[in-house]
Amino acid sequence: MSEPATANLGPSVNPPRRRSSRRDGRAATLMMAPNLLMFAIFIIVPIVGGLYLSFTTWDINNGAPKWVGLANYTKMFNDPIVGVAVGNTVKFMLFGVIPTVLIGLGLALLINVRFRFVGAVRSLYLIPAAMSFAASAIVWRYIFLDGPGYGIVNWVLSKLGLVPPDWLVSTTYALPALDIIAIWLSLPVATIIYLAALQRIPASVIEAATLDGAGPIRRVRYIIWPMVRPMTVLVAIVAILSFTNGSFDLVNILTPTGGTNYSTTTLIFYIYQQSFTYGLWGYGAALSVLQIALIGGVLAVLRLFAALGRRAP
Amino acid sequence: MISKSQVMHSTRVLFATVVGLLMAAPLFYMILNSLMTTSQTADLTPQIIPNSVHFSNYSEAVSGLTQVIYGRSFLNSVIFTFFVVLFQWMLCISGGLVIAKMRFRSRTVITVMLGVSLFIPILTTLIPTFVVTLKLGLINSYPGVILPIVAQTGFGTLLFRQYIAQMPEELFDAARVDGANWWTMLRRLVVPLAKPATGAYVAISVLTAWNMYLWPLVAASSPNLEMLTQTLASLNNLTFGTTHPQNIVYAAIVIVTLPMIIVFLCVQPYFIRGLTGSGVE
Repeated sequence: MSEPATANLGPSVNPPRRRSSRRDGRAATLMMAPNLLMFAIFIIVPIVGGLYLSFTTWDINNGAPKWVGLANYTKMFNDPIVGVAVGNTVKFMLFGVIPTVLIGLGLALLINVRFRFVGAVRSLYLIPAAMSFAASAIVWRYIFLDGPGYGIVNWVLSKLGLVPPDWLVSTTYALPALDIIAIWLSLPVATIIYLAALQRIPASVIEAATLDGAGPIRRVRYIIWPMVRPMTVLVAIVAILSFTNGSFDLVNILTPTGGTNYSTTTLIFYIYQQSFTYGLWGYGAALSVLQIALIGGVLAVLRLFAALGRRAP
Repeated sequence: MISKSQVMHSTRVLFATVVGLLMAAPLFYMILNSLMTTSQTADLTPQIIPNSVHFSNYSEAVSGLTQVIYGRSFLNSVIFTFFVVLFQWMLCISGGLVIAKMRFRSRTVITVMLGVSLFIPILTTLIPTFVVTLKLGLINSYPGVILPIVAQTGFGTLLFRQYIAQMPEELFDAARVDGANWWTMLRRLVVPLAKPATGAYVAISVLTAWNMYLWPLVAASSPNLEMLTQTLASLNNLTFGTTHPQNIVYAAIVIVTLPMIIVFLCVQPYFIRGLTGSGVE
């Protein structure tokens, strides 16, 4: 499942009222110390250290990192596979996150209805959230299977008279196949967030619109969408983090060589390959800087859209 | 007479149910396949309903020549998940109290820092985190695979901070009058009252830890530290041979995922609350 990051993004909490001049500096330091110490060692040091490593070459089994200035970055810009990997990552994200957001909203609308067994039916939508990328990868591997004893997808395609692709080997269909799996895994969380937002819309608002003659499409367009739109940024952020995970797990499990002609080599997979397979630690660190910049860039664009959306009428 | 709106409602319920079944279909497919004979799964036409039910596939997945799941990996996954969630919970609930209720100078800085860290998942700092863990001499050890994940406190700390901040200030004032210090308040007041937040936190982090793949893969590569996600991942390469037929592989996945699915169904309300900050009716 995804690494959810949502509860924290709600409205900020007011600081406690300052009724006295009480200061808790000492107690706060002591109680926060274990948390911050771990955070410093395993998050801040790696971020700073990773930046340093990116300016070095290093064979982890022999000696210390050697300063090489911008050599890794020069190499990065001249490495044709980096462009392919960035392209694959962006494609994997775009063709994964956008459907997740749209289908997630659709599913939330669909199950935002009251009936006797609604709890059980909603569970059907949410269960994939309990699956790992690893387990889903193997389950779906058989569903996409090609060759004698087709997987169910290709069996259906061939019955429809289409030529079924060899999903995971094809240069065209491997990445979309991984996207389909990642979308399936990311939908539950998207659906949950949208459903919670839908339930905050007062029923009277919808009823009033219906009485005024607004059909289902107009209701979604003019009432529901504006009210759940702020949640879309949240859904997209959680999906992006989930797809970042998926862009390694699924690739490494289902296409362990990075796909035919690098067709499923995502940036994170390439980093893993360069560092752990070829032992190019400095180069791996430089690529990681690119990865962080890429995620940072995507999130910045998202924030921009959110800000523009708020300003629009 | 059945009114038009009743028909509409029934149609919608039916549609919602059918789509739900489709969403969960890969899981049903997995369970049904795990009960078939090897020859049935190898049929040229994809099979959905088992001709006969073979629970023996499950024992074959955990023992004998066809064994794919080893007790050791199961134990490793349990140890990893348990300690990650326990230690991280301790850091997060105390940190949440500090940020929510204490008065000190660098509070905003810490809050922002934790917030930013949410967008730097461990796989983007994989190389340097590996190097730090290596330098500490912890690669291929339980602490080495557990502690760097424990350190990802951003989500949990902010979740508890949100919840604890809503607790009335008067409770803390009263405890203070009774002579309680912050540690006593943490144990006697915050931990019991923040149970719903703990539930939400545990539901989400147990699933995340149990399903984690990349960090254990690089930090615990020695066979006696192998975890279930790695075991499952390795099945892909093996399935091309004859030693691991599809029904046995599916039985193995059911054994690994069914406990989590059952746990998930039990804690679903907490999970939803953790994601949305509220329940879904």
